[in-house]
Amino acid sequence: MTELSININGEHIKADVEPRLSLADFIRDRQRLTGTHLGCEHGVCGACTVLMNGEPVRSCITFAAVADGSEITTIEGFDQDEPMAQLRQAFHENHALQCGYCTPGMLVAARDIVTRLPDADEDRVRLELAGNLCRCTGYVGIVKAILSVLEQRRI
Amino acid sequence: MADGGSVDGKGIGARVLRKEDARHLAGKGKFTSDFKRPGQKEMAFVRASVAHAHIKSIVKPAGYEHAIFTSEDLPGLKPMRALSKLPGYKLSDYPALAAGKVRFAGEPVAVCVADSRADAEDIAQMVEVEYDILPAVTDMLAAKKPDAPLVHDEWEDNIVFETFSDDDFQKIADEATVVIRREYRMNRQAMNPMEGKAVFAEWDDRQDQLMMWTSTQVPHLIRNGLAEFLDLEQRQVRVIAPDVGGGFGCKALLQPEELVAGYLTRKLECPIRWIEDRREHLVTGANCREHHYQITLHATPDGRMLGLDCDVTVDAGAYSVYPFTNGLEGAMAHGNLPGPYNFKAYKCRTQTTVTNKPGLMPYRGVARPGVCFAMEMTIDALAREIGMEAHEIRMKNMVPESAMPFMSIAKKHFDSGNYAKSVEMAVDMIGLEKVRASQGVPTDDGRIIGVGMGSYVEQTAHGTSVFSSWGVAMVPGYEQATVRLTPDGGLELRIGVQSHGQGMETSMAQMACEVLGIDPDNVMVTHGDTGLTPYSTGTYASRSMVMAGGATARACRVLAERMEIIGAHLMQCERTEVSIAGGKVVSGKGEVSFAEIGRVWYLNPDELPEDVDQGGVEVTMGYRPEPDSGAFTYASHACKISLDVETGKVKVLDYVIVEDCGTIVNPMIVEGQTFGGATQGIGTALLEESLYDEMGNPGASTFADYMMPSATDAPMYRVDHMESPSPFTEYGIKGMGEGGTIPTPAAIGNAINDALKQIGAEVMETPFTPRRVRAAIEAARDRKEGEAA
Ligand code: FES
Ligand code: FES
Repeated sequence: MTELSININGEHIKADVEPRLSLADFIRDRQRLTGTHLGCEHGVCGACTVLMNGEPVRSCITFAAVADGSEITTIEGFDQDEPMAQLRQAFHENHALQCGYCTPGMLVAARDIVTRLPDADEDRVRLELAGNLCRCTGYVGIVKAILSVLEQRRI
Repeated sequence: MADGGSVDGKGIGARVLRKEDARHLAGKGKFTSDFKRPGQKEMAFVRASVAHAHIKSIVKPAGYEHAIFTSEDLPGLKPMRALSKLPGYKLSDYPALAAGKVRFAGEPVAVCVADSRADAEDIAQMVEVEYDILPAVTDMLAAKKPDAPLVHDEWEDNIVFETFSDDDFQKIADEATVVIRREYRMNRQAMNPMEGKAVFAEWDDRQDQLMMWTSTQVPHLIRNGLAEFLDLEQRQVRVIAPDVGGGFGCKALLQPEELVAGYLTRKLECPIRWIEDRREHLVTGANCREHHYQITLHATPDGRMLGLDCDVTVDAGAYSVYPFTNGLEGAMAHGNLPGPYNFKAYKCRTQTTVTNKPGLMPYRGVARPGVCFAMEMTIDALAREIGMEAHEIRMKNMVPESAMPFMSIAKKHFDSGNYAKSVEMAVDMIGLEKVRASQGVPTDDGRIIGVGMGSYVEQTAHGTSVFSSWGVAMVPGYEQATVRLTPDGGLELRIGVQSHGQGMETSMAQMACEVLGIDPDNVMVTHGDTGLTPYSTGTYASRSMVMAGGATARACRVLAERMEIIGAHLMQCERTEVSIAGGKVVSGKGEVSFAEIGRVWYLNPDELPEDVDQGGVEVTMGYRPEPDSGAFTYASHACKISLDVETGKVKVLDYVIVEDCGTIVNPMIVEGQTFGGATQGIGTALLEESLYDEMGNPGASTFADYMMPSATDAPMYRVDHMESPSPFTEYGIKGMGEGGTIPTPAAIGNAINDALKQIGAEVMETPFTPRRVRAAIEAARDRKEGEAA
């Protein structure tokens, strides 16, 4: 067992975890924050994307133990966040989700794009999104939603 | 009739934003894998490491015997048997855990149970299975050979099902001076909804009932299957599909893991959870497509199609899936190959073979992406042969609008539409002339440009008469919907289909709005629960909007009549003086809100009129279109691609879609379904392939070797709509959930061959990977050199 001290969505948590436990399983099964989804568990689909110290990581291939001492933000932790509020509204208006399974990871990745790359154009947005798979939407609504938030934030 | 006007334009035809979005955007969707109960256990499966073998022994590690179960440990668990009345169809059993023999790599052999999945997998790794390995058959054409190893020992060959229809080609022989012969292959894929399969089972002692939450499109069919194969009474099974993260067909089937979970929760007296991981999804389930075509098209030099002669082979894998069977692909290929075209002679033979690979499942479009690919590629080959634009051949040979309704050469009853118009519009949108002009100009980076298209017609929402002729264990009848006015004037709507991305919580509410004028926000749609909803065969075959939507309209109309009686009484006027509008009962004397009606029925029944309908403000109505031969959606897709001659890499530069799904309920949702479908089609065309070696070992078991379309592979589609209402359905709606997937491989393949025409090369096998494109180019060059020499 490894002792873990971690901050998730502003809450300090201490826990004993097996060294092999993934951050995703810790978040989902131990903390019961089930908004973070698992689509592949091998680091390709991006459904499990969360912020670790402000940067997007794939929680399925990050050991919980490695996250010791870090600040984690999951989809449940963005309620006071302006870019996330803009993205949620834009995703809604642009039909950027169907089944909703990829959506939490997609939003976390999208937030990273709109805050890090204010000048991104469509090609760049698509390139940045290439690590987040969506099987339902064909990415049309997602790309449009992100572009619209970039536009809003430029004004 | 009391159809009320819609509130602020929120009824049929409105781009109403989706009611289901808020919970998903907040991360508060509830998927099966999110369930957790005290004392629950997780399952991990020991899966066959070889594709074809007798099991000699299974040795459980000492100390873990109680946590490991083989088929012998689960007495009474019956194998799945999918029935079919298709003539000559060979039935077979699909055991939930292998009994004596394994027939594909990945087949469940034993199940291990522990507190966590990781612990269960640890145990699974310690189980030792000894195999007596048999030669495997992994190619559908090889499976037909007389000396091929038999997948099912009790059969005399590996052919599960054949269809054959003959025709007299003499009648066209004089005119048909152009003959085009081709061989096409659409390879095996996996469906890959982003949420894999997941099951949570719990035995409820109070109700004496198996409760199963499962990621499914067809909760009522899962209930049928669980009751049958677990030997339970139907009342002892309740199936609930919570949020489901995409399905695309694979979740319209009962899986072995569902049966095992249902069995073990009762045996072990604890909740049981199983979450399919991506590797399991890719190599053990959800395999699909895999057709082979030997096709001959007879035509005139001016592009009139006269006859089609085709041999189709379908690779069904080892097992027949419940309840759809593995016979539908072949049957549907036979009936759909001619597409929207009319010609004089049609001869077709389909053979569906079994191989040592996972059982073939019906994937979005079912057989039609394959037949559309073969047909449309052949038309373009004809166009190149006779020097005509392919779209002109399409328009010339399509069933004209003036002939509707029309019985096609393959006995499909087309209902309405102007097929040729969709071609014309797509050609216009893609700017064919401009592309043609640009093709002559060489680019410096060695890329060449191609343009291509694909058209299809899709039978949707076909009903009783169609399915009963197949004799499968799921014949849709009258689809039902239940509506209930709540005491405060809201509406509860219950449907037996299941929404897993299609937005039915919104579109069905729009349907209620169309009839009752009630705001969709005040309509709660409940779906996917056998305990709460009327029976339905579920969501597949692009049927839900037509069928459950139609039933909703009917139920709402009856409810409207009943509310009018109460409303008329409250306003002291005649029944004939009132109507429903804008979510109220109105008359010349005033209006009564639905809340007022609800209050009177539930809380102050003393105020009810004597002639009140005692059925109250809750109504269940059934609906089936007449005739129920299906509503035919169609579309034409056109695209422009660039091709790097050196690397063989293809990029989609522009993609346009002109579709007609009859009356559109929510254009935003229709477009979303179309874009998503087309992107899956891009996967088929360029990226996705489930490879197997000759031993039957899967070669694509992660997303690192199974390529899924990402945002960089998909273009910003452009779409235009036509609306030819079906004369046979409520409001003229046609189904459309699958269509986007159908013509994409054809459109892209045709664009590639258009680009390659200057080299004399042609691709004929999906996916058109750089390797295959390069191989086609090299073959053409070799051929030319050979000719020169
Ligand atoms: S689940 Fe982590 S990347 Fe797919
Ligand atoms: S909305 Fe279903 S995977 Fe993206």
